[in-house]
Amino acid sequence: MTGRISSEDLMRYLDGELSPDQRALVEVELATSTELQREVAIYRALKEDFRELSFHPATRRASVWDRVNVRVTRPTGWILALAGAAVWMAYGAYVFATSPYDPWEKLATAAVAIGVLLLLASVIWERYRELDKDPYRDVYR
Amino acid sequence: MQPDLERELIRKCKAGDARFYEPLVRAYEPAGLRLAVAMMGNAEDAQDALQEAFIKTYDTLHRFDLRKPFGPWFFQILRNQCRDMLRSRNAKFRVEALDGNVEETPGDAERGPERSRQRNAARELLWRGLERIGTEHREILVLKELEGFHYGEIAQILEIPEGTVASRLFHARRALRDALVDMNAEYPS
Repeated sequence: MTGRISSEDLMRYLDGELSPDQRALVEVELATSTELQREVAIYRALKEDFRELSFHPATRRASVWDRVNVRVTRPTGWILALAGAAVWMAYGAYVFATSPYDPWEKLATAAVAIGVLLLLASVIWERYRELDKDPYRDVYR
Repeated sequence: MQPDLERELIRKCKAGDARFYEPLVRAYEPAGLRLAVAMMGNAEDAQDALQEAFIKTYDTLHRFDLRKPFGPWFFQILRNQCRDMLRSRNAKFRVEALDGNVEETPGDAERGPERSRQRNAARELLWRGLERIGTEHREILVLKELEGFHYGEIAQILEIPEGTVASRLFHARRALRDALVDMNAEYPS
């Protein structure tokens, strides 16, 4: 509180948030109070410093859009791809299981398919775990 | 960005077309980066926070009320993201070399090397002052002084009553002034 002007009203005055009537009241007080004039000078200097020295984040950096785009569009793609693959795999397994081939032919084929799937899954899992540590993930060609 | 255009873009995004999100990201990226750098203290963490904030904003667009302005809503998410990152990473406001965070303003070069050096020193001092005050003080100063938001918008972003904004600003400005005086800045005391 500075005289009859509260600290909050002083801030509103400095920031142009007072109505014209309220502003006039502060200015009347300001004309007669050296303490208030000093306070206003301090905060105006601070505001001026911010204005003069405003930070301009370096614009050399790449936009975040590419990374945002990947994250906002990829989930839909993954959901569709995985759902479609699951349906096809279930249907394929059903056709395979009910087909008239010999059991040893089915077992050999299933072993190859399962082996390939396990290898693929392990590579994907490994890549996923390494993603955060990859020093080149933000390097673009 | 024109409010009508902004609303139309958001409407398209809400309908699931992510292509229309790009102009919004590009429009809000510079101001968002300024706020994030000022809150996180370095450009690297700021970019991470900004990226996550844009993703969270997109994911929650279905809850966005099209009658309201997008800016304060986005900055609210960004501010919360910065605070979460500062908390969860146990990271403190970390001041990087100034060169990494800011560029010279266009006027600097025109005023000559000595003036440019003085301004850089003053920037550094203000930056260090911001480092010394708490997150709560820093964020409200950044929103008011760097981004020029009105009290109503600041209240929305910080999720506080509008009547509290002036009081918080008073305490933040006083804290910054005290910090600068402690660092022997030539300030009225």
